[in-house]
Amino acid sequence: MTRFLLERLAHAITVIAVVSLLTFFIIHLAPGGPSLLADPKLSRVERAAIERELGVDRPLPQQFATWVTRVARGDLGRSFLYQTPNVDTILARFPNTLLLAGSALLLSIVLAIPLGAYAAAHPGSLLDRTLGLASFTIMAVPAFWLGIGAILVFAVGTHLLPAGGASTPGLGWSVADRLRHLLLPAVVLSAATSAELFRYARTSAGAAFKLPLVRTVRAKGGRRRTVAWHALRNALIPVLTVIGLQLPRLVGGAAITETVFAWPGMGRLGVEAALGRDYPLVMAMTLFVSAAVVLVNIAIDLCYAWADPRIRLDATGARG
Amino acid sequence: MKRATACLVAAIAGFILASCGEPTARPNALRLPLINDPVFNPIIAADLGSILPNKIIFSGLVRPDENLRPTPDLAESWTESADGLTYTFKLRPGVYWHDGTPFSAVDVKFTFDRIADSTSGSRLRSDFAAVARTEVVDSLTVRFHLKAPFAPFLALLGYNAGIVPAHAFTGTTLSAATDFNRSRPIGTGPFRVTESIPGSVVVLERNPRYYRDPPALDRVIFKVVPDINVQVAQLRAGEMDIVQLEPANLASVQDAKDVAIVQTPVVQHYYVAFNADNRLFSPPDVRRALGMAVNRQAIIDGVLKGYGDLPRGTIPAALKDFFADSLPPVPYAPDSARALLALAGWTPGPDSLLRNARGEPFRFALLVDKGNPTREQSALAVQQDLRYIGIDVTIQTMEFASVVRDFVVPGKFEANLIWWTTPPDPDQFGFYATGQDNNNVRYSNRRVDSLLALGRATRDPAQRREIYRAFQAEEQQDPPVLVLFYPREILAVSAALRGMPALTLRDALRWSERLRIDNR
Repeated sequence: MTRFLLERLAHAITVIAVVSLLTFFIIHLAPGGPSLLADPKLSRVERAAIERELGVDRPLPQQFATWVTRVARGDLGRSFLYQTPNVDTILARFPNTLLLAGSALLLSIVLAIPLGAYAAAHPGSLLDRTLGLASFTIMAVPAFWLGIGAILVFAVGTHLLPAGGASTPGLGWSVADRLRHLLLPAVVLSAATSAELFRYARTSAGAAFKLPLVRTVRAKGGRRRTVAWHALRNALIPVLTVIGLQLPRLVGGAAITETVFAWPGMGRLGVEAALGRDYPLVMAMTLFVSAAVVLVNIAIDLCYAWADPRIRLDATGARG
Repeated sequence: MKRATACLVAAIAGFILASCGEPTARPNALRLPLINDPVFNPIIAADLGSILPNKIIFSGLVRPDENLRPTPDLAESWTESADGLTYTFKLRPGVYWHDGTPFSAVDVKFTFDRIADSTSGSRLRSDFAAVARTEVVDSLTVRFHLKAPFAPFLALLGYNAGIVPAHAFTGTTLSAATDFNRSRPIGTGPFRVTESIPGSVVVLERNPRYYRDPPALDRVIFKVVPDINVQVAQLRAGEMDIVQLEPANLASVQDAKDVAIVQTPVVQHYYVAFNADNRLFSPPDVRRALGMAVNRQAIIDGVLKGYGDLPRGTIPAALKDFFADSLPPVPYAPDSARALLALAGWTPGPDSLLRNARGEPFRFALLVDKGNPTREQSALAVQQDLRYIGIDVTIQTMEFASVVRDFVVPGKFEANLIWWTTPPDPDQFGFYATGQDNNNVRYSNRRVDSLLALGRATRDPAQRREIYRAFQAEEQQDPPVLVLFYPREILAVSAALRGMPALTLRDALRWSERLRIDNR
């Protein structure tokens, strides 16, 4: 176990280093350069002064070396656009993303897994067929369309819920207010995930109900709950994989949903940083998100072992 | 399983009910969108997201009236020396910064010293390059010494030059003052920042020490909403009071109740720039012919939905005192364009494309920034109109930053569709005088050079008018650029909003103490 963790951590550091290097050169290859310099009215002197201040006048390898040295000292740099330390910028946005993506994921799990299991236990029933159709429809609808549609119905049409933002400005902090603002984006963000998760849960629960192990439990006269427990624990493996694939969004944010609902999360920040060619912020976010994703993946691997004891933890990433 | 489902349904229902409980109270507040997080410092922040709140937080020495003429703000009055080299401002007494410190001439000097300092990150340096030094005469008198007479000086003082407090920057630099720039700015304006949440919202509350009539609103709230469709949705949901629209968005508010459309001419000219260093475009007659081949009225009607004005030269109609409306608009005359081009050696080949004596076709690439429907559609219209007289135009779209930095500034382009937003003054020396940094089209005309130099040095309004009329007449003979239109700013505003001056949003926010929300 300890050996597994150490080896996986070594892998993680390599992955993060490679991702950083690639991101650094890709973002610098993108045309245009920092949006601060996109003002056509700057004089030559002003332009040169800004380039010097931002440090973008130096050769790329030197810029990369400076960045690595700073990171090694724990300094993630200052944003061009925000003129604040990147750590502060990211930490101000991260809780919002965690809240939105976390609630969306929770909502998906709470909705999709029971419904999937129910549909698998009653194949061909009216509910099964309805849910099947609904899940395909939702998966086919783009998030921004669903988001704008939800705003038109619930905010413009009925004034039931706010059209965007994370709270009502100037009201102070209140749970009800935060919930009102969270509801629409969380539902819209969870829609596609729920649909996908539902289909996986239904398929894998369907397969699990037919396992010899489950048949044996049934034959021994196990109660319905015992049967369900044995079946569903086996059905969890593919579902965990799908949940694992959603986790990067917990840290990286969901740019489209966050934009539609003017939600101050990491996704929008990342888009702004990339469009503004805010090199230090792009690099800091890359580092933060890739580190988090790699760590979460290690955690998911540990969960596999819990869900199916036959799975041996092996640092090469092979899963039993 | 049944019980679990029931619990789940109950939980979700409870969540929704809890969420919907609160009624939406209408606050005595003005709510506007920002497309990005602001930097609260008028000297170092040049982006629109920063300019709007900074116009409210930081008062200037003067502010523009509805004719865009400077009127007193922090300055009570001023005198100009006969040679135009010194301006002496009497400051308004009894003005306090948002933190309670008294405002004085020292702050004005500090502001303009930082503006002139090339290491301060100043984005206003070229605006005030004519200022030699700023002198504190006494605590309420400040004097500017100019290197040469500079007529746009007062207009520029009322444009972006908000005054910042000297005492907030002791022992630090403008760009290092993160707390000031990002969350706790100190100005003298009618509203002060009380809350700033990154990526989300900036709340400004009424400044109880404001030096004029007390502001009518309790609050001004800027919400960071980058997407214009989302801004419109919030306006229609009653959660926003002013949204600036593109003509393409007009349809989405047409049937909305409680929303009014306000249009104001902007000090901008949109144009197709031709690189005069390219031999295709160096003959003035070719540029004149291209101008006659484009149907501007069709672009104004079709693309701008009528929210624009027909150009004469490069001085927009918004500058009422200087726009030469007595000159005829450039006519749409494709036949005359063809005739002029024939004189310049371009005759139709067998494929109807214009060709020169060596048989080379008239062909060029037109750059336009990606994502703005007005500019993309205008580029298409130009392409079609020029194709009609036999010119083959290829449109290339890319990000704005790339258009500017990779092509326009280094002069590596044939043609591009772009615009200038200028201060409320007709001075265009930097754009169209020979060899200037912002003369990206490499235009050079001796007569224009001397007119523009004379125009910025002449302070008498009547004389200036004559000079700029002559400039616009010369532009019709030797056009520096192909001006397409002068846009009007289109604002969708809540019908409850009162007290908006007839100015564009940026300038109107200089009068924010007069804005009101009519609570029904």
